[in-house]
Amino acid sequence: MVFPSRPVKLLRESLKMPGYKLYYFDVRGRGELCRLILHCAGVPFEDFRDIDYFKDWPTIKTRMPFGQVPVLEVDGVKMLAQSMTIARYLARRHGLAGQNDWEQSQADMYCDCVYDLHNATVDATWEEDPVKQKDLFNKVNQDTIQPHLEKVEQHLVKNGSGHLVGQGLTWADIAYYAYFTTPIMTRLGGEVLTKAPHLKKLIETVGNNPNIQKYVETRPVTSG
Amino acid sequence: MPGYKLYYFNVRGRGELSRLILHYAGVPFDDFRFEGKDWPAFKSKMPFGQVPVLEVDGEKMLAQSHTIARYLARQHGLAGQNDWEQSQADMYVDCIYDLHGAMRTPTWETDPVKQKELFDKVNQDTIQPHLEKVEQHLVKNGGGHLVGQGLTWADIAYYAYFTTPIMTRLGGEVFSKAPQLKKLIETVGNNPNIKKYVETRPVTSG
Repeated sequence: MVFPSRPVKLLRESLKMPGYKLYYFDVRGRGELCRLILHCAGVPFEDFRDIDYFKDWPTIKTRMPFGQVPVLEVDGVKMLAQSMTIARYLARRHGLAGQNDWEQSQADMYCDCVYDLHNATVDATWEEDPVKQKDLFNKVNQDTIQPHLEKVEQHLVKNGSGHLVGQGLTWADIAYYAYFTTPIMTRLGGEVLTKAPHLKKLIETVGNNPNIQKYVETRPVTSG
Repeated sequence: MPGYKLYYFNVRGRGELSRLILHYAGVPFDDFRFEGKDWPAFKSKMPFGQVPVLEVDGEKMLAQSHTIARYLARQHGLAGQNDWEQSQADMYVDCIYDLHGAMRTPTWETDPVKQKELFDKVNQDTIQPHLEKVEQHLVKNGGGHLVGQGLTWADIAYYAYFTTPIMTRLGGEVFSKAPQLKKLIETVGNNPNIKKYVETRPVTSG
């Protein structure tokens, strides 16, 4: 009997993997969590980001389910919109969503919290005046981020595994990593995790994942 | 049956979708509503200092309105029949979340003239373009529901949004170009469990 060679096995496996095409602009924004999940899980996908807002977007927009991106196209036949829905779908398909219904919901809960943090930081992120930007950032940090981190740190310690949910990495951990390593956070958020050492350590752990590290070293440098 | 206690203010707001899901599914629960003055005492007990929160069997808590609603929908057969349908339902409910966000400012505007202007702008800029897409998808799906062949929490979410007090008061023409969605919303509203709850729920401003 002749056994298939390793390259043939890999080819067969890749043919079974769904074909993913992620449409989003060439920024991190609301597409980055999906990209990080796919890279972390080692799942190949087409990172379709070469969308010129004026030349390409008007045409692409009409093909998107709700005229917005990000959108995940699967096997060239079906499309899924809404950034958190896409991220949750990918996390669940690729083992990053928790081990049971309750863990899946806890991961959803943490990701919704990060979504709220992103929304709170949107004005600061796109403010061009650096002085005004710092003021806006500090206000969001004081009013929203710090109170939230106080709770998260308590839950993280109580959970005991070093991860937010259950015993292993989930997309919730990746979501906190993504938020706390945005360009604005990297530039202005040096002290943000001072009172949340366990979360800081978790974020470093996620960042040290070889797949994430490799992607982050090579991804385009963008302002948001 | 698990023991559910839903903590939220005495408004519809971000708690109503979970209430509607539970009533639709015929699942008993403690609809724990508090007044603003009682909030400080409860805030510190909530996982992130916010509500709604779902407490299950008196021992574990889940926060974030859509996470709670999704959990309840999945536990009680209202989330779709497979991974893809579940994700489509998630997608529609995320759209509703965006519509709620867009409607926040008009909802809490106290000057009626200004409120109508703000409402009309949100309707023109955000709701109508969205409904145009939803109506196309609804027709293409066939069967009268947003996802698959039966009712999901996505249908309930659209019902909840399009029957808020502000929508009921100012949104008379909102469905003029979305007859199928209008019909779906009426279908949800005519469900006996939903009807009974809606007839008896507290009347609140939002």
